Amino acid sequence: MTTVDARAVTGVAARVRRDPALAAAVATLWLLLALFVVYPLAMLLARIFWDHGELSVAGLASVLTDRHQIRAFANSLLLALFVGVFGTLLGFLFAFTAARCRLPRAIVSTIDASVLLPLVSPPFTTAIGLIFSFGPRGLITYGLLGIKGFTVYGMGSTMLAETLTYFPIAYLTLRPMLAAIDPNIEGMALSLGASRRRVFRTVTLPLCIPGLANAFLLLFAASLADFATPLILGGNQFPVLPTQAYLQITGLFDFRGGAVLSFVLLVPALAVFLLQRQWVGRRFYVTITGKGAGQTPFDSVAPGVRWLLLAACIAVASLIVYLYALLLYASLVVALGANHAFTLQHYRVIFTEGLKPIHDTLIIAALATPLGGLYGVLLGYLVARKLFPGRRSMEAVSMINYALPGTIVGIAYLIAFNDPPFVLTGTALLIVACYVFRYGPTGIRTTIALLQQIDRSLEEASLGLGARSGTTFRRVTLPLILPAFFAGLGVVFIRSMTAISATIFLVSIGWTLITVKILENITELALGPAAAFSVLVVVIVFVVIAGIGRALRLLRAQGAPPVTSMLGGWSRP
Amino acid sequence: MKLFAGLCRARNALQLIVWLFAGFVTLPALAADTLNVYSIWPENWARPMFEEFEKASAIKVNFVRFSSGEALARVIAEKNNPRVDVLFGGPVETFAAGISEGVFEPYKPATFVKLPARFKQADGQWIAIADDPLVFMTNDKFLKENNLKAPASWNDLLNPAYKNMLQMADARTSGTAVTRIFSILEVNGRDESKAFDYMKKLRPQVQLYTKSGGGGTLPVGLGQAGGGIFFIVDALDTKAKGYDVTISFPKEGIGTAAEGIALIKGAKNPEAARKLIDWATSSSMQSLFAKYKINFVPANPDVVVEASLAEVLKGAKLFPIDADYAGANRKRIVERWVAEVLNP
Repeated sequence: MTTVDARAVTGVAARVRRDPALAAAVATLWLLLALFVVYPLAMLLARIFWDHGELSVAGLASVLTDRHQIRAFANSLLLALFVGVFGTLLGFLFAFTAARCRLPRAIVSTIDASVLLPLVSPPFTTAIGLIFSFGPRGLITYGLLGIKGFTVYGMGSTMLAETLTYFPIAYLTLRPMLAAIDPNIEGMALSLGASRRRVFRTVTLPLCIPGLANAFLLLFAASLADFATPLILGGNQFPVLPTQAYLQITGLFDFRGGAVLSFVLLVPALAVFLLQRQWVGRRFYVTITGKGAGQTPFDSVAPGVRWLLLAACIAVASLIVYLYALLLYASLVVALGANHAFTLQHYRVIFTEGLKPIHDTLIIAALATPLGGLYGVLLGYLVARKLFPGRRSMEAVSMINYALPGTIVGIAYLIAFNDPPFVLTGTALLIVACYVFRYGPTGIRTTIALLQQIDRSLEEASLGLGARSGTTFRRVTLPLILPAFFAGLGVVFIRSMTAISATIFLVSIGWTLITVKILENITELALGPAAAFSVLVVVIVFVVIAGIGRALRLLRAQGAPPVTSMLGGWSRP
Repeated sequence: MKLFAGLCRARNALQLIVWLFAGFVTLPALAADTLNVYSIWPENWARPMFEEFEKASAIKVNFVRFSSGEALARVIAEKNNPRVDVLFGGPVETFAAGISEGVFEPYKPATFVKLPARFKQADGQWIAIADDPLVFMTNDKFLKENNLKAPASWNDLLNPAYKNMLQMADARTSGTAVTRIFSILEVNGRDESKAFDYMKKLRPQVQLYTKSGGGGTLPVGLGQAGGGIFFIVDALDTKAKGYDVTISFPKEGIGTAAEGIALIKGAKNPEAARKLIDWATSSSMQSLFAKYKINFVPANPDVVVEASLAEVLKGAKLFPIDADYAGANRKRIVERWVAEVLNP
């Protein structure tokens, strides 16, 4: 890339002039980015710092000096820290076991499938399961152990639920990294007389450090932005900022207060994002595509330890499967905890009264998915392969909505598009745009990463050999970015079906979403329909992702990302 | 020129995006005889009412349910471009707070003159469709295990047995909670420091402040919580579902809040909206409460209170929440509650 840059700096303007299609595409993308990324954020900042016609930091100061809000902020950071540390450890445990214990393929696939459940379901499903199990009359705490008055609401359970929900992200980022470390290096250390423990400590672990840091930052950011789990499990002892911002707006109709609270969240979120990107992001891409040459079978783990690791993984996976089985069970009985007679009533309810949110969610997902996939590939392609002024800033701007917690994006959209000139609240367009610009960036990053691995000379060679540019695009470039397109599709689809933190602010009389309906059901204590909706979402997502995964395997080119990258290995929930 | 074809595709794709987006803005256009409503009543009560209205009037009702705080927040946020025509259900203090934001259009249906003063706003900015007293609801098994009688005084709830075992609503989102707080204020003769002292003492007893007013009923029914303060309509609904709970009233008295309906200023379907208000305030709707087992006390004096509901209410000391006082002080009191009780 750098050689190209040097060669072309002077010719950029001329190129753009010669290539009107490029100019049109770039202009359109900038226009969309300006409208759906820059404008809402600017309006949010204006709402915070612009008071009756003059610049003011009073709103921000009032939050920063309010000890309740400071506590919520501290809670958010603490929670994110814990989830980051424990989630990374758990992810590493699973990744190490899967990559180094030479387990039968069937076991690894089973563990994989159960671990991926939290990534394809609405974010609060774990939380519901925990309340069922560990509440004051929970199936486990009260029914099994007979503990009375056990409080499930608070920091501990929020941490547990978030760790279980997000550690699969760590698993997905760490596993390819571990797989890419040549076991021969470990084998050499071992044959030179080091003990297995010493090899692990001095060889394997140091090689994993960038991956561990990356996983930690991803989990930290995911937890910082999570809104649904603390809303359900945090109770009143453990307020966190995203929940506070939501209640400030919906309960006290204080847009400014909500905006200020979400702004406070913006600082650590951006810091983590930049750190992840600058420091480990690039190394990460190199490592997963590196191919270990000639791996020889070799036991890097002692048999006893192997069983111990496997047992730990199975224990955690069983907990997840148990929580989801409970969810399925809750959707099939009259009232979990009171009346366990079998019924299909909850499914009847969601397919009659609940048909509108299902219908709306599917339409919105069906629109957002191709648009988001297209947007990701187009922008990624232009940034990686085309020369035009400001392409680095275009990439940076496109990442903003992705890096920010959903609460901020939702509040910014609500503030920006509620009043003229762009009155869009209440339309499906706004929700679609929110998904496209918030989750499309995964496709951008995948596309750029893919194209960076393949030198331009490949395309130039094709041209040099006499293929026309159309043929080159079709035969060379397109197959290269198709996997990125499908990965982008997958991410946007999963998030369109499961996200809530941003879009809870954007639902309206005309358009409502399954996830919002689930939350509504939970607060109304219609747990049966909530469970039935959740099961439906998991099933739809699994079916669609399996379809996309199949398409991806058929089209898979050398160096393409694994199918699982759709599930959030690189993305943020 | 190279890769020109690719860019052509890109441009076509972009055009597609623009068309799709443009097409979508105009999509939610609605037919003439429809009505958009924010309902504060939970869906299982609002839905049968609206279905009956659709049958009676041939007007299609689109509705979405929010708790009172959220619904009001939306109506206020959409003031310049209202998305709904009617705000339906919810305690009147929510409506009183809306008046000061200027979001309602006065309308006096035929029933207006019949209703006592506490069931209507003098200008017709809102009008009551039901009355809903608060009650104490406790889990029978919990009472038995702790050798307790159903609470008969506000101070009974301070008994150490209830520590961490009560659930009630969060005042930031729920009108039930606001009604509860104003009840405590009334019981203490509107002496705010006394009332807040009580609420601070009650705080350690509370396991969870729920987002919606009825949020704690199921946990109490299941025994996850020992008891709580709810609207009678939620409490009787829990009992009707077969949970063993006891409903009781404090001897000092407890508030009852009228449930309102209001026409939104700038409504896009004002005629249909007025028809709904006519229907909802008349006996046409309120005599249906019994049929659908909705335990609201009808506001319309022509409708008889259903026998079993009347039985529960017998001997209870109830006082209406003063909508004007509550509306004028709601924001301040809720903020004080958040600062001093919720997050001390």
